[in-house]
Amino acid sequence: MTRTLTDAARDLLLDAGRVYRHDPPTADWLAHQVDRLDEPLRLAIAGKVKAGKSTLLNALVGERLAPVDAGECTKVVTWYRDAPHPAVTVVGADGSVHELPVDRRDGALVIDLRGASADDVEMLVVDWPSQSLRIATLIDTPGLSSLSHEVGRRTLRFLHPDDERPTDADAVLYLMRHLHAADAEFLEAFRGQGVAQTASVNSLAVISRADEIGGGRVDAMVSARQIARRYRSDPALRGLAQHIVAVAGLVAETGRTLRQTEFTVLDALARQPKEALEASLLTVDRFVAPDSPIARAVPGLTADQRAGLLRRFGVFGLRLSTMLIRQGVGTPAALAAELVGRSGLAELQAALDSQFVQRRAVLKARSALLAVHQVVQDDPVAGSRELSAELERLLTGAHEFVELRLLGELRFGSVTLPAPIAAEGSALLGGAGASPAARLGLPPGTPADDLRAAALDALARWQEHAENPMLDRSVTAACRTVVRTCEGLVGALPR
Amino acid sequence: MELPLTVKAVDLALATIAPYARPDLEERLRQARSRLLDDSVRVLVVGEFKQGKSLLVNALLSAPVCPVFDDVATAVSTAVSYAEEPVLTLVHTRGTGPDGAPEQVRTSRADVPLHELSDVVAGYVTEARNPRNAQGLTGVEIGIPRTMLQAGLVVVDTPGVGGLTSIHGAATMAALPTADAVLLVSDASQEYTAPELEFLRQAIRLCPNVACVLTKTDMYPEWRRIAELDRRHLRDAGISAELIAVSSTVRWQAVVTADAALNAESGFPALESYLGERVLGQADLLARRSTVHDVVAVTDQLRDGLRAEEASHRDPNGVQDLIRTLRAAQERAAALKERSARWQHTLNDGVADLNADIDHDLRDRMREITRLAEEEIDDGGDPTKNWDQLSAWIQQQVAAAASTNFLWATQRARFLAQQVAAHFAEDREAALPALRTEASAAVGAAREMKVREGEPWNLGQQALSGLRGGYIGVLMFGLLGTLVGMSLINPFSLGAGLLLGGKTISDERRRIVARRQGEAKTSVRRYVDDVTFQVGKDSRDMLRDVQRDLRDHFGELAEQLNTSLKDSLATAERSVKTTEGERSRRLAEIPDQIAKLEKLQQRVRTLVPAAAPARTAVEPVPVS
Repeated sequence: MTRTLTDAARDLLLDAGRVYRHDPPTADWLAHQVDRLDEPLRLAIAGKVKAGKSTLLNALVGERLAPVDAGECTKVVTWYRDAPHPAVTVVGADGSVHELPVDRRDGALVIDLRGASADDVEMLVVDWPSQSLRIATLIDTPGLSSLSHEVGRRTLRFLHPDDERPTDADAVLYLMRHLHAADAEFLEAFRGQGVAQTASVNSLAVISRADEIGGGRVDAMVSARQIARRYRSDPALRGLAQHIVAVAGLVAETGRTLRQTEFTVLDALARQPKEALEASLLTVDRFVAPDSPIARAVPGLTADQRAGLLRRFGVFGLRLSTMLIRQGVGTPAALAAELVGRSGLAELQAALDSQFVQRRAVLKARSALLAVHQVVQDDPVAGSRELSAELERLLTGAHEFVELRLLGELRFGSVTLPAPIAAEGSALLGGAGASPAARLGLPPGTPADDLRAAALDALARWQEHAENPMLDRSVTAACRTVVRTCEGLVGALPR
Repeated sequence: MELPLTVKAVDLALATIAPYARPDLEERLRQARSRLLDDSVRVLVVGEFKQGKSLLVNALLSAPVCPVFDDVATAVSTAVSYAEEPVLTLVHTRGTGPDGAPEQVRTSRADVPLHELSDVVAGYVTEARNPRNAQGLTGVEIGIPRTMLQAGLVVVDTPGVGGLTSIHGAATMAALPTADAVLLVSDASQEYTAPELEFLRQAIRLCPNVACVLTKTDMYPEWRRIAELDRRHLRDAGISAELIAVSSTVRWQAVVTADAALNAESGFPALESYLGERVLGQADLLARRSTVHDVVAVTDQLRDGLRAEEASHRDPNGVQDLIRTLRAAQERAAALKERSARWQHTLNDGVADLNADIDHDLRDRMREITRLAEEEIDDGGDPTKNWDQLSAWIQQQVAAAASTNFLWATQRARFLAQQVAAHFAEDREAALPALRTEASAAVGAAREMKVREGEPWNLGQQALSGLRGGYIGVLMFGLLGTLVGMSLINPFSLGAGLLLGGKTISDERRRIVARRQGEAKTSVRRYVDDVTFQVGKDSRDMLRDVQRDLRDHFGELAEQLNTSLKDSLATAERSVKTTEGERSRRLAEIPDQIAKLEKLQQRVRTLVPAAAPARTAVEPVPVS
């Protein structure tokens, strides 16, 4: 193929724009979709109320942008995107646009709607210069199962706009504390949409607030990872999300935004006898109380400061940090790295990279094709038949989509490869990441020659499978797709 | 164990009325006595999963009875009650007994020491070691020596609810009417969610004694805010349940180190006093009231007889008047006893109406589920592909429908009982019998939904049907060709053969999918029918039991009233003929006897505080 998928999708969008040029709103919308093709990936963060969506968003960005509160907090869909200058824009329900002042207090961004109710606001757009946002635009959504139904409905409308038009997000990060029936329903509904119907190619589940499992013990993350592993092996869930990871959002956020002053205080705390510190950390009230033993031991630390520490670290974070310092972590940078490492954020970032970022072109093109499909279906005019044909050709012809679809079918169980070759098959199709090394099951950074050799090997093996007369027809068809993938791999790797 | 005051009072009353030779009244007191002796107070601990329910039970009882895990833990409910030595009882529901009803099998083991209890229990009730309740347990009962439980308290740890439509949720809901109090557990990490409040709203309709417990206050600095938000949500929803904030971890630490200050900090004293005053106190107050009621009613009947006798002895001329009023009263009582009494009509009509309404409601709900399921099957292509999900969905929906239907039936039955009691109100007896309704286990007992793969549809099968179609095509067009002089095998006949072969294959595939869809629908309908049948039968049985209980209860009341009045009448009639000496002897005796009965009444009345029932609201004590 000489033309990339992105180019093909762009041409299709431009063609559609020409066909619908007499219908300005639709043409505008299509033009907007063309721009969207070149934008960073749009990643929505969804989940039930208080699942820790905003906290995780801050951890991913590495700055305290999204407001976080103990009560239900995010009530409006908020976009965070990379831009040269910070700016906050409000888009009203009536389409009006106006800017808000950028106000930063104590390292955290403060957004004041100036009395406008959340109902009048369609969305907030926060422009922020950030390396992390350059990779993906993040979209914070209000919690589902919220007691104010309107808030939950707003998220559903954003992510499942039903018949109106395809969703604005290319992929979804779904946060849950434990898997409830409502979580499974949500993932299920997000999965099957429109033409490029591909099971769970664009959602990733996160066990958030993992630090709170087991009462904030220092080994909470071990339990959390075990739970994530159990969910991953659950066949009912495999069809719903590509991957499930456990992340301690608060610790990750604090780790990425750790300040020197905080480290100094923690250092002082860690110098206290271990038993005394543990006793005062038994409950949050004890730690904050004005007559707490820790107040006498570290006189410089006011109750307010201690409450602030708790908000930033949580009981788990404080226990973990003081333990780390006691074990010899001596600088803020080292502590920050340890906190981030132990919070599971790195695993999440790796999963995001392999599942979404590497597949950016396909996910973007998929969104574009969905848009064209929607327009053609809603409003057939002269020329839309040709658009449909081209759309169909792309969907069935582009190998990337065939791969995605097969991957979804394998995960959902409507096609099953024989057990000995199932794991290799889904890896080759990109189930563990779209880079050649990930597909071939080799460590990243393997020399190109070795990759090529492995790809040739795989090609030969899968050609054999594809011609195996003992296998079912659907299986041999799947094998042929894998062969095509291997050919692509071999072609892409220079000799 | 020392006998409770109420039982002692009943014993005293039994001794006092022994000389009057009234076996019917003695029987009534004896029943009251046995009811008092085996009455337990069930407290259900409910909530979404991972809110710390099991840890709360352990901390409350200061004994490691319920297993606590980081991952989803409890899958089977565990009831903890008092026993001298630790004892563990497993309750299985085995398929069906001889008469078709599910049978309960109980196995007890007393060889488990207290500190190993939670490990052993974990083998039965946890999701990890008993996944999806593969061991088929209905429940686990544990007895432990704890003074707190001695007053008859039973604390039940339930599996996490996880939404109202889940099977666990339906089971918990069905257990609510048998509970004396409910503790809704939610942790301090967040305010109430919509499903939690919905559950609470339903629960409070079935069991008015509900308290909300906010757990894990040791972990969340903002727990006071959350508690405030929760209280506001409760107020907004019009639920007047109090909220108690506790920390099980701190309580456990307090138990281990025997630290009273720490115990106060854990917030558990407030919970304990709630259980003591509002739950046990309430139950105790009810027991005392019903005791007083029973004793006073029985002695009143005897005293009225004595008074009538006294009057007739004292004023022999007024006897005829007395006999007249007594006869009128007795006729009224006799009428109440008759089958044609008005209350009997109310009861019979009410149960008939109830039966019809409940049945209609159940069928209506089930039909809707069947309709949705059939639509889903029709739209879904080959149903064997996603059968697991579909059948799980149907089971959930059916369970939810059955439990809602059951709740409605229970509420209506209670209402009916009140209506019937209204007929007796004029005759000072209006106590309601206890209606203990058992939830139906039909949803679990119904046969499994299955869809057969049916005839296989593999490569060989496809080749065969393709060949069959192709053969016919070649033959048909080949023969036509021979008419115009071509050979049997010619390009046209081969082409037609291929076309027809392909068509046969696709026809065959469509036929098989349609057949599977048909089978799936039949299977769904059969399952729903099974459950409807079983649930319908169970709710009819339940209503019949209710009807029988009410009839017996009120029938007995009518009978007692009738006997007492007949006695008085007979005495009055006899007094016309008695001699002077006899008369003066009785006149001397009777005031004594009346005084004795009245003294007994006075003593028994002291069981209940004279003022209005002391409803001491326990203000949640903030921990600091």
